[in-house]
Amino acid sequence: MTYASMTDGQLDALKEISNIGMGHAATALSQLIGETVYLRVPRITVTDIGQVPELLGGAERVVAGVTLQILGDARGNILLIFPAESALRLISRLLGKETEGMVLDELGESTLKEVGNILASAYLSAMGSLLHITLIPSIPLLAFDMAGAVVDCVLIELSQASDLALMVETEFHGKEPNLEPIKGHFFLLPDPGSLDVLLRAVGGKE
Amino acid sequence: MNSRIRVGISEFHVARAPAVLVTYGLGSCLGIVLCDRENGVGGLAHTLLPSLRPGIREVRMSKFVDTAIRLMVEEMVLQGALRERIVAVIVGGANMFEPPGGVPANAIGTRNISAARETLQALDLPLRAEDVGGNYGRTVEFDLVSLQVAVRSVRTGDRIISI
Repeated sequence: MTYASMTDGQLDALKEISNIGMGHAATALSQLIGETVYLRVPRITVTDIGQVPELLGGAERVVAGVTLQILGDARGNILLIFPAESALRLISRLLGKETEGMVLDELGESTLKEVGNILASAYLSAMGSLLHITLIPSIPLLAFDMAGAVVDCVLIELSQASDLALMVETEFHGKEPNLEPIKGHFFLLPDPGSLDVLLRAVGGKE
Repeated sequence: MNSRIRVGISEFHVARAPAVLVTYGLGSCLGIVLCDRENGVGGLAHTLLPSLRPGIREVRMSKFVDTAIRLMVEEMVLQGALRERIVAVIVGGANMFEPPGGVPANAIGTRNISAARETLQALDLPLRAEDVGGNYGRTVEFDLVSLQVAVRSVRTGDRIISI
């Protein structure tokens, strides 16, 4: 199975399971920050790896990236990207104090990792129980830096097999009228070898 | 006004002065600057992986540290560089996500750095300077007129390397 040979039906199926997973993740986030979290309809793209930083607003834009490996019946990565301002807002809202400047202290770092952990766990457990497969997140790792640099480490592993990455991307944002919005991107990056497992579980015919 | 040429992921570009070659957001990727100071022919590559894995067909050879260096040298010679005068600077090869317990020795950034050092040595190209490793991203700007390589980082500030 290669990305290019996937049918529309299969792409839709992946989009749908990701949407359900994301719904659970958004509920978790919403409970954390105490406000409604809105989801955009997921975009599923087979993208040239080189173009990914552009999708995040440019390679030099500062972002917080949390990445977790997916272990279990299917392999892959989850990448959660918050623009710097959103990451800092999220931290200050969760910790109930203002962060100073564009610096992330240790407490801020673990807060973001924990957010990544909660979102990824909610996402994977919803997806796993839907598909009757076991999906477990690894411990979260964090980087706070230029988007290009944050993304390349995750994509490099994929690029050994192909120049294309299958990305299921969901944009989410919180919107309280009096508060600055928190935005983020959630990427599901299945390993090429695990795509078959996912599609079989989804039931999409090849 | 110098022309700025942007080098994307898995690409390299060779140019003559006056020109500025730029590549943004190197994480574990490795930026490779090659330069013939005498006649202002230079190149910049943005590579992802150390070398091609055997058995895999690959079309984009500039994705790899070793092949990108070789191809860039060939291209520079075609554009008038003298092979014996070419020197190199390497930038990047960080490990952005540090797992608890430290970065494994076979981390991709580290392997990219060693691949570059080995290839440069094999081709007898002197490595003039390097700004590599760590856990932060870098942007590289190589000005073919001033022969300076500017390394920008949001975490540790800027550094200028004169070739």
